Amino acid sequence: MFFHIVLERNMQLHPRFFGRNLRENLVSKLMKDVEGTCSGRHGFVVAITGIESIGKGLIRDGTGFVTFPVKYQCVVFRPFKGEILEAVVTLVNKMGFFAEAGPVQIFVSKHLIPDDMEFQAGDMPNYTTSDGSVKIQKECEVRLKIIGTRVDATEIFCVGTIKDDFLGVINDPAAA
Amino acid sequence: MEKSGPVQKAVVLQPFVKLVRLVARAFYDDYTTKSDHQQKSARSDNRGIAAVVLDALARRQWVREEDLAKDLQLHAKQLRKIIRLFEEEKLIMRDHRKETAKGAKMYSAAVAATTDGRAEDKVKLHTHSYCCLDYAQICDVVRFRLHRMKKRLKDELEDKNTVQEYGCPNCQRKYNALDALRLISMEDDSFHCENCNGELVVECNKLTSEEVVDGDDNARRRRREKLKNMLQKLEVQMKPLTDQLNRVKDLPIPEFGSFLAWEARAAMAARANGDLNPNDPLRSQSGYGSTPMPFLGETKVEVNLGDGNEDVKSKGGDSSLKVLPPWMIKEGMNLTEEQRGEMRQEAKVDGGSRGAAKLSEDKKSASGNGDEKDLKDEYLKAYYLELLKQQELAARRNQQESAGESASDIQLGTTSSGRQVSMKAKREEEDEDEDEEDVEWEEKAPVAANGNYKVDLNVEAEASGGEEEEEEDDIDWEEG
Repeated sequence: MFFHIVLERNMQLHPRFFGRNLRENLVSKLMKDVEGTCSGRHGFVVAITGIESIGKGLIRDGTGFVTFPVKYQCVVFRPFKGEILEAVVTLVNKMGFFAEAGPVQIFVSKHLIPDDMEFQAGDMPNYTTSDGSVKIQKECEVRLKIIGTRVDATEIFCVGTIKDDFLGVINDPAAA
Repeated sequence: MEKSGPVQKAVVLQPFVKLVRLVARAFYDDYTTKSDHQQKSARSDNRGIAAVVLDALARRQWVREEDLAKDLQLHAKQLRKIIRLFEEEKLIMRDHRKETAKGAKMYSAAVAATTDGRAEDKVKLHTHSYCCLDYAQICDVVRFRLHRMKKRLKDELEDKNTVQEYGCPNCQRKYNALDALRLISMEDDSFHCENCNGELVVECNKLTSEEVVDGDDNARRRRREKLKNMLQKLEVQMKPLTDQLNRVKDLPIPEFGSFLAWEARAAMAARANGDLNPNDPLRSQSGYGSTPMPFLGETKVEVNLGDGNEDVKSKGGDSSLKVLPPWMIKEGMNLTEEQRGEMRQEAKVDGGSRGAAKLSEDKKSASGNGDEKDLKDEYLKAYYLELLKQQELAARRNQQESAGESASDIQLGTTSSGRQVSMKAKREEEDEDEDEEDVEWEEKAPVAANGNYKVDLNVEAEASGGEEEEEEDDIDWEEG
């Protein structure tokens, strides 16, 4: 799920950036630092949408670096148990398959794939129904449900299922 | 006696013992020490042996395994196997100790303290194992076990998408699908153990997996039916156990402490009881070779006993019968009347003026320290004896007075011990009254006499405060 929230961060700025463009430098550094990171608490920071406020800078003793407390608005993505996601399959093996929904990695184990789909080894490993109408392989898009998340301080990993109504392959670029 | 040792305070063992017995019957009823491939004959069928051992442990605290084996008439090896099972299941604590002869004796001393019977002094230079039920852990283990049983059935019943589990066939490590990212290896497309790099296998824990699930509606319905049945049966059969768990939940859990602490405490209690045990561990301190700091357990005990019940101890060490404050008494505890604080008012027989005096004395002493009570009793006895003597003396003197009435005052002043002057004087007045006006005295006497006596005695009691020292000294001297 996506959220638009306000976060705060203490930015350290090198003295060489002091000048007319101090604010621009600060914001660009913030974007470089924060976007794409993941915190267990808030999820993945997708994008910074605006700066709320920049506090008074504090010169660090000894180094000359200045610390600015910056409040910024950002879009975060946090997967939840029970959530339905659309993801791209990245890897298929006999244990199941891995898929990615943006920054999140999701694993779907074999027993959470419908019983009528069989694993086919080979050059392009895939799961196929007996009549060959549905095929799950690398690069294809699936809709899945998250049944478990593992949230660490800097990492989120999910386990999903496609063994439910309306879940499964939604688009296969290879077949098209 | 065994159930509530002298070292326990305000902890009720009974509900926990019941819990253990229920657990034994629920989970270990069909446990047998024989391995499966051995031929089972009716003779060697020892099912239920585990329940017997658990029951026996519930009646004891720490016990040496050999002693337990002897009590149960089991082979030591057989017992050890069962004990090890319980240890693995986290039901009991164990302690092993290399013992010298004295060490073994010390245990015997501890046993003699907690149980009335004396354990025989068997002296051997071997490693001895001791075991004890760990009630705190038992509660947790049983609750967890029931929870797992229910969860597994429910998950399968609702066909809930459970997180797949994987196991390593080599090192028995368990993983689940959430670890998948770390387990996937680059060489082939299977999962590998982080520990030994062995290939992981899917743990198939479906209870009804033997049935082929081919998507057939009929088969699925039958499977659901079966699962639902199992879950219902589980609920019904585990009802007593869950009830007991709920009952026990809020009660304080009996804690025996580690083996060494328990032993030291038991010996301590024995000494407080006044048993001069020749095998007392503190006397045979030198035999405590295996533990470098034998005083550790003991200091703990001092803290335990230090909370204001020394006087109780001095009266016979029956701390298990302490009065519990009302906020400590909970439903499900079975206490004696005394512990609830009833029957606390000792029924004193009020034997006239003397009884009244005694009552007032008692009240005073009750407000004071309990230690003084004994002394005061002694003092009172002595005092009444003296009082009697004095009265007899006075009576005799009165008889003399009837012969020569004039010299009474002077005599009194010289013979009585001074503190009794007022009383004596009043007695004289009374006697004179009696002599002079018989009729009037009969009417007045009950009130006047009572009042006089009371006042006298109270005065006496207060005045005697200074003399208590003397009396105490006397008593000490007598005892010494």
